[in-house]
Amino acid sequence: MKVSLRLNGVARRFECDVHDTLLTLLRREGMVSVRFGSTSGETGAAAVLIDGRLASSDVVLAAQADGHEVTTLESLNTARGLHPVQEAFATTGAMQSGYSVGAMILGTLALLEQDPDPDEDDIRDMLSGILDRETAYVKPVAAIRRAAALLRGEEVEPFAPLVLDPMTDGRNAVEVDPEDPAPDAPPAVPRLIPSPDVPEMAVVGHPEVKVDALRLVKGNPAFTADFEMRGLLHAKVLRSPHAHARIVAIDDSAALALPGVHAVIHNGNTARVKYASGGQSYPNPKPHDQVSFDDMVRHVGDRVAAVAADTPEIADAACRLIEVTYEVLPAVFDELEARLDDAPVIHAEEDTVGIADREHNIVHRIHSERGNVEAALASADHFYEQTFRVHQVQQCPIEPHISVAWLDSDERMVVRTATQVPFHTRRMLAPLIDMRIKDIRIIKPRIGGGFGAKQEMLIEDIAAHLAIATHRPVQLELTREEEFFASRTRHPQTITFRTGVNADGTLVAQDMTVVGNTGPYGSHGFTVQIVTGLRGLTSYNCDNKAFNCEVVYSNIPVPGAYRGYGAPQALFALESHMEDIADNLRMDPIGFRRQNWVRVGDELNIAPHLGETAVFEGELDEYPVVGSNGIEECVAQGMRAVSWHRRNDPEWREPADRPHIRRGLGFAFCMHGTAIPFLDMGGASIKLNDDGSFNLLVGATDLGTGADTVLAQIAAEVLGVPLSDIVIYSSDTDVTPFDTGAYASSTTYISGTAVQKAADVVRKRLKERAAMLLGIDVPCSIVLQNRRAWAPDGRSVTLEEIALDSLHLNEQEQIMGTGSHMSPDCPAPFAAQFVEVEVDIETGQVTVVSMVMAVDCGVAINPITASGQVEGGMLQALGYAHCEEIVLDDKGTMVNPSFGPYRIYTADEMPHTEVFLIQTLEESGPFGAKAVAEIPKDGVAPALRNAIVNATGVRIYDLPFTPERVYRALNDA
Amino acid sequence: MSRAHNYHRPTTIDEAVSLLAIDGHVPLAGGTLLNADDDPTPVGMVDLQALELTRVEAADGRIVLGAMVTLHDLKCDERIPTALRDAARTELPSTLRTLATIGGTVAAGNPDSVMLAALLVHEAEVGVVGPDGPSSAPLANVLADRGPCHGHLITSVSLAFGGTTAREAVGRTPSDTPIVSATARRVDGTTTVALTGVAPTPVLVGPDDPTSGLDPIGDFRGSADYRLHLASVVTGRALSALEGAS
Repeated sequence: MKVSLRLNGVARRFECDVHDTLLTLLRREGMVSVRFGSTSGETGAAAVLIDGRLASSDVVLAAQADGHEVTTLESLNTARGLHPVQEAFATTGAMQSGYSVGAMILGTLALLEQDPDPDEDDIRDMLSGILDRETAYVKPVAAIRRAAALLRGEEVEPFAPLVLDPMTDGRNAVEVDPEDPAPDAPPAVPRLIPSPDVPEMAVVGHPEVKVDALRLVKGNPAFTADFEMRGLLHAKVLRSPHAHARIVAIDDSAALALPGVHAVIHNGNTARVKYASGGQSYPNPKPHDQVSFDDMVRHVGDRVAAVAADTPEIADAACRLIEVTYEVLPAVFDELEARLDDAPVIHAEEDTVGIADREHNIVHRIHSERGNVEAALASADHFYEQTFRVHQVQQCPIEPHISVAWLDSDERMVVRTATQVPFHTRRMLAPLIDMRIKDIRIIKPRIGGGFGAKQEMLIEDIAAHLAIATHRPVQLELTREEEFFASRTRHPQTITFRTGVNADGTLVAQDMTVVGNTGPYGSHGFTVQIVTGLRGLTSYNCDNKAFNCEVVYSNIPVPGAYRGYGAPQALFALESHMEDIADNLRMDPIGFRRQNWVRVGDELNIAPHLGETAVFEGELDEYPVVGSNGIEECVAQGMRAVSWHRRNDPEWREPADRPHIRRGLGFAFCMHGTAIPFLDMGGASIKLNDDGSFNLLVGATDLGTGADTVLAQIAAEVLGVPLSDIVIYSSDTDVTPFDTGAYASSTTYISGTAVQKAADVVRKRLKERAAMLLGIDVPCSIVLQNRRAWAPDGRSVTLEEIALDSLHLNEQEQIMGTGSHMSPDCPAPFAAQFVEVEVDIETGQVTVVSMVMAVDCGVAINPITASGQVEGGMLQALGYAHCEEIVLDDKGTMVNPSFGPYRIYTADEMPHTEVFLIQTLEESGPFGAKAVAEIPKDGVAPALRNAIVNATGVRIYDLPFTPERVYRALNDA
Repeated sequence: MSRAHNYHRPTTIDEAVSLLAIDGHVPLAGGTLLNADDDPTPVGMVDLQALELTRVEAADGRIVLGAMVTLHDLKCDERIPTALRDAARTELPSTLRTLATIGGTVAAGNPDSVMLAALLVHEAEVGVVGPDGPSSAPLANVLADRGPCHGHLITSVSLAFGGTTAREAVGRTPSDTPIVSATARRVDGTTTVALTGVAPTPVLVGPDDPTSGLDPIGDFRGSADYRLHLASVVTGRALSALEGAS
């Protein structure tokens, strides 16, 4: 059928299928700023203006748009420069991945057309239909306010942090004066507390605009789905309707006979090669319990077969034509029940090796101990034991998993894919498709969020198998439903803490027992649970500590990596437990923790025995110690910001005019890690160009975090150039150096140090060439600054002059440097998390009023992107604590695989948030940096739980704090 | 992919009614539900956008909304009672509210719809056209019948205005679709209450005994018992809020 509409101001006529949505039409016509998030409109990633109104194009038929005016972000790109709205989004750091920024900018245009000075409610209401897992909507709101001011012709201030005086000496606690007013600034402005140890720098520490801002705010092709391929086929996966079954037979004849179908793959025609899908360093932890297509299915949504066809619709139809005969087997979902004698055995096959106790579905048993826990518990003045249960949630990147695979002209396999781990994927993919690593190339373009879900070789093998089978490029993009139950999730766990405390409040023994539910496949099961142990037992000094863990198979959707990686579970339990102990001892909750938490110089006595590179046997000669710790400043700033003293004020806690409301404030002490010691490695290379600019190649994978920007800032600082002179590219396994990938809060610290080292090499050579040009004998006396090399006598040459000389004129050479970095250290970022709540004691409804996190992440290389990490992390952590949950029915089918039923926070309901960046100088990090990406995931759940305790006296041991759970707890109390 | 295997855009009601008489043909209003439906069974779409059903008119002490008036239109229209404008804002987020229509909302009969509850307390009447001509029925009846019969088309929703209203709700988060909500309206000394989340569709209940006869279906957001408890609490609060307002 023909569809006529005005697209971005131009009358156009298109040939469409009747079932085409407007999203399909627009993307086919190259409007790639309109992005796929789901087919039901609720993500807003595909929102466009229809007759000037913001509307989700994925629920509009192309035919419905006939006769209408349709506007996409591309309409603004008539000039090389940026529209003021685009400018405002770039300046304020309003996009991280930028996947949905097109919709946000269009919504802003429509809103400002109606009202040039909208209030915050109207801004948030406009954003209510555009889901964002990254910014927590904090900086988009600031961007829209700024855009409105710009369009009104007003002057705007530079967007920069609010620099505050420290409240402490950096080491010791202070009394916070209740009368001392909290600093006043918009929430999007990070509060920065500098350290006298940190020198002023030219690029590092400054709120530079993200290096990928232009392509994102213009909606230019940037993501996996945005690049056109001639002859592209579309893949769909047939998934198991059963939680546990044997595939007795597969008949693909009807599917193959369907016109437009090019290949059907399943266990009958793919090789049985065992692997583990978690994107981890070589060798991947055992057991290798997966194959591309098995004769068993172990969860609802498990792979059965895959089809490549001319269109996604044909591929879908073909999947429905595949006849599968199943022998349905009993299933088990709970990690405690899965260990029982009568539970079904989930991996009975002989070719999976490395399962600790196959008959009881116990994949791993982990034990570590320092001192003698039982003896110390027995002798302690007080003994406490509590058990907590944490549930299953999904990462919810708005861009679902997507891969495009093809054989290039040399018949090498190329996969453009939304991955956090391109190099691991290349290595893990090779045996599955029977190709050598050297014949595989993985390209990571921009990624629309990952949060760990893409630290996995999840679908690349399917796309590659189909590309080989068809000799055509094949794209596989998961649906939102598949993203929920057929990608990866957070591990549910049952966690028990036992703690012995002396009368004076000193911890003398603490042990942690975890039963971790890894679902049907090991994936990250071992490493996530051991990180749970690491994080659960590292925050506090105690001579006797032990970790006991069983990692258990079940038939739930597969858990894997999720930002925080075992720590959010651990810290919910630990910080709830510590709160309850303090209450029982009638001690101040922060004071009790302070008495025990680790300080600078304290030995981390169990850390090397836990974590991904754990040493299980014996004691070590040396244990890591805490090198930098700004927690006291974090606590002081946070207490002032939330008016912590109110928690003891009965009039505040029980407002007289709202008799069913109780208010409370809660706290959690957070300590995380920075990278995996002895394991994570990143590489970088830098070369000088004719004009004095530099190409920086890194294997590190920016998944929206701003990593590329931060890495380029580090290079610019070393080389004495502005950020704009660094052209960064990441990542492509054919082109860029190796990097383990974006996970474990490692990129700034590990890849950043690699960049620093590579830049040091280049700087040294630049100085030598400058010395030649300036006739100086001592190159080390030369300083690089402002694009020039300066001699001590004040003479200088430009880097461009050095470049032209070295590339074209004298003793020609390419000035370049490489660097790589691995660290034996794992410096801890620290944070104080505060949450304010209102609890409705008649209904159990919990309303989160505000969240304040004060973080010591060392030196924030870019305070805008760093604060964005904290804001987005807190949003996800709030969802974990408050409203998100994967719900399975008794057959193991997820009952809520869409946004709405699976509730994630929207812009119009966010609590007030504030971020404090407490600077410390971490000697082992690049320019003093530690990690910031994951620590904001750790404290919200316990701080919220403890705020509920403060408000109501009721202690809850499982998540999330949905109204009925809280109501039952209130009534049981 | 959408379910459409056929698309029509009739320009008259008669044409639309004839198309809807064809087997497998359904009305397409905003499309937020129909185009999001992943049922693979194809349907013929009868798009109502050209039928001029977007008027908002006052007549006989009532407001008549064309069935294709969007929730966004309702939210922005100052002639519309505040409770309905607020409900329109609450019902759907910004990117769907511009598409979803009042007629589609009635046809869907979502048990959690605060918009339907607001319409119920505003004595909504639903105008329908079918093969046997136009007719109208109270919204409560249409909901009880699970929408108009096949082949029939909702053309308008009319409602009373005046009085005071209040809504109270409990949800997981402030903008979540409420687990249970109560919308109350008092006009000329008469109070009506409509609840969501306690029956297969939003229902009018007696203000004095709001849970009488209710048999809610529990789910992970709230068990049946809990929903009954909430029904009492939110009804009581809505009635108190009316007291405070009057």
